[in-house]
Amino acid sequence: MSVPATAVRASILDRVLRDFASVAGGLPGDAAARARAAARLTELGWPSVRDEQWRYANLRAFEHLGAFRPAAGGTLDTELPAAVPGFERLIYLDGVQITGHHRLQDEPAADNSVASHVWPAEQRLGLLCDMFASDAARLTVRGEAAIEILFVSSGRAGAGAVYPRLQLQLQPGSHLRLIERHLGHAAAPALVACNLTVELGRAAALTHYRLQQYGHDTVFADTLWARLAEQARYTVRSVAVGAGTARTSALVQLAGRAAALAWQAIAVGRGEQVHDIALKVEHSAADTSTEELFRGIADERARVAFSGHIHIAASAPGSQARQSLRGLIEGAGAEIDLRPRLEILTDEVRAVHGATTGRLDEDLLFYMLARGIDRQTARALLKWAFLSDVLREIELPGLRAEAERLAAGQLQDVLAVGALS
Amino acid sequence: MSDAAAQPMLEVRDLQVRVGGQIVLKGVSLAVRAGEVHAIMGPNGSGKSTLAYVLAGKPGYEIVSGSVSFEGRDLLALAPEERARAGLFLGFQYPVEIPGVNNAYLLKTALNAARRERRLPELDAFEFLALVRSKTQLMHIDESFLGRGVNEGFSGGEKKRNEILQMLVLEPKLSLLDETDSGLDIDALKVVANGVNSLRSPERCIVLVTHYQRLLDHVVPDFVHVLARGRIVRSGDRTLALELEKRGYDWITEQAAA
Repeated sequence: MSVPATAVRASILDRVLRDFASVAGGLPGDAAARARAAARLTELGWPSVRDEQWRYANLRAFEHLGAFRPAAGGTLDTELPAAVPGFERLIYLDGVQITGHHRLQDEPAADNSVASHVWPAEQRLGLLCDMFASDAARLTVRGEAAIEILFVSSGRAGAGAVYPRLQLQLQPGSHLRLIERHLGHAAAPALVACNLTVELGRAAALTHYRLQQYGHDTVFADTLWARLAEQARYTVRSVAVGAGTARTSALVQLAGRAAALAWQAIAVGRGEQVHDIALKVEHSAADTSTEELFRGIADERARVAFSGHIHIAASAPGSQARQSLRGLIEGAGAEIDLRPRLEILTDEVRAVHGATTGRLDEDLLFYMLARGIDRQTARALLKWAFLSDVLREIELPGLRAEAERLAAGQLQDVLAVGALS
Repeated sequence: MSDAAAQPMLEVRDLQVRVGGQIVLKGVSLAVRAGEVHAIMGPNGSGKSTLAYVLAGKPGYEIVSGSVSFEGRDLLALAPEERARAGLFLGFQYPVEIPGVNNAYLLKTALNAARRERRLPELDAFEFLALVRSKTQLMHIDESFLGRGVNEGFSGGEKKRNEILQMLVLEPKLSLLDETDSGLDIDALKVVANGVNSLRSPERCIVLVTHYQRLLDHVVPDFVHVLARGRIVRSGDRTLALELEKRGYDWITEQAAA
């Protein structure tokens, strides 16, 4: 007998609320804020694939999660990546800080929008972290800084869930290079629900590298909100290869004149992995710009989806938007869904978008074969080339090598032929 | 002349090829011996590029009948990469751009694949660089091009010179150059011609596919064939090319149709 979808959703929400009721009293920090988040999730309900924004998310994976309460008692049992020269490193284990100088203040300031952001319906999984997280990487940057944050899940994380949280404010004119890495014990079957809130002051600049490499048993719900003031620049370079199910719900608000977003991302899935990225950009001020570059590869039976919704309000004349979304289907049972969407409510806008999905270009393949390169190597080189638009933008050599290694790890033939060398 | 030299290196016999439901080559025969340079000329749509692609093994071409042997092997039974490693090189009319695949990496991978086939040791990075440097100078190609994506952002002329650079590095036994002269100004044409001539030797053969005879002023062919409506309608020496230059193709295709 099949269970109606509404009943399944209700039961997930019930389990979330039950777990919340059982632990809420013991969690540190602002209890009222947690309760508000729980009330809002109750009001919005658990998302459904019938909603356009959640259509490609693998919500079914949440049904199989054991628990939503925060994991506890874990130890650092994962090998950490080499440090990046010039970057200060902070480590969060199962969502709680264990090293680094930047220490959490328990109570956010009342006027602190990065700490009190209210998630819209399409980002409602962000409420999980608001309900359960017991720590936050809360950074206020003045001047220049380079910080690496490792969010690490332990082997114990399976006993509960992990709630990494990053709240970031850049003061006017400041400049931050931020590396955010998500990694975990290979045997940690857990929910990782991560929240990021970012506020960039006037003419502030943030270059944000994101590497997600969880094990395939992890369900990763990633929610990001950013607001940019006048002339602020936000650059995201994201490499997602991990987690069995990964959903990114991102909202970037270009609120000040000439604010600029560059979002460059790759997602490589294999096996039964599902990568689903929903990025909404709101242009509400004049002369703002967005550049989106997405490259996704789906191998075997993986599903990769990218929804790029750009809304240019009447208050944003002179804005520019450029979307380049490309998907490569490698496996017979693989699926790629790319959805560019431009919504323009003003004149004087320059907007270009392109989305293509397909298999490897036969003309390129033939060119390489005609040079005597064997088919396996040629295919691997072309797959690798497909990702290069994004990978080559990572200008930190050590980090780029790491990102390349992670991406290549998803593409066995690339590793086999040594296309990395 | 030894027996081996007397045997054609490439022998095409009565080749009929269908593309998209249409017979494009209607029984082409051609014999090319080591040391020879042949030019295949003809009007647009005569089947010149089809012949080049079929010999190189491009998918999408159906062999209806006929045979092709290369050094005594059945060429049509080989995959494109096997043909290349056996010593066949196709210089493309429209070389593709492959951003993300480094020019030098492609060339080194191709060269070492060919060397493995010939049971020669693979070249390491230093040996490869030394080899390729001398060739880039000959082709007037800036060394920085090696570090770029294959043909990425190259002008039309640069792409053609890059094709010849690849040919010089790979040292094929049979070079099939498909309209390598198209889109070249006179200086670039001379550079390309110098490159092609530098590879002329008694052990190799070259087939130039071209619409115009101007390349043939610089790379003088031993034989000229006219391909029209899928057939070789006339063969001769280089004077045939000069005659075509003067009179165009109409007279010869009309004669063939009559």
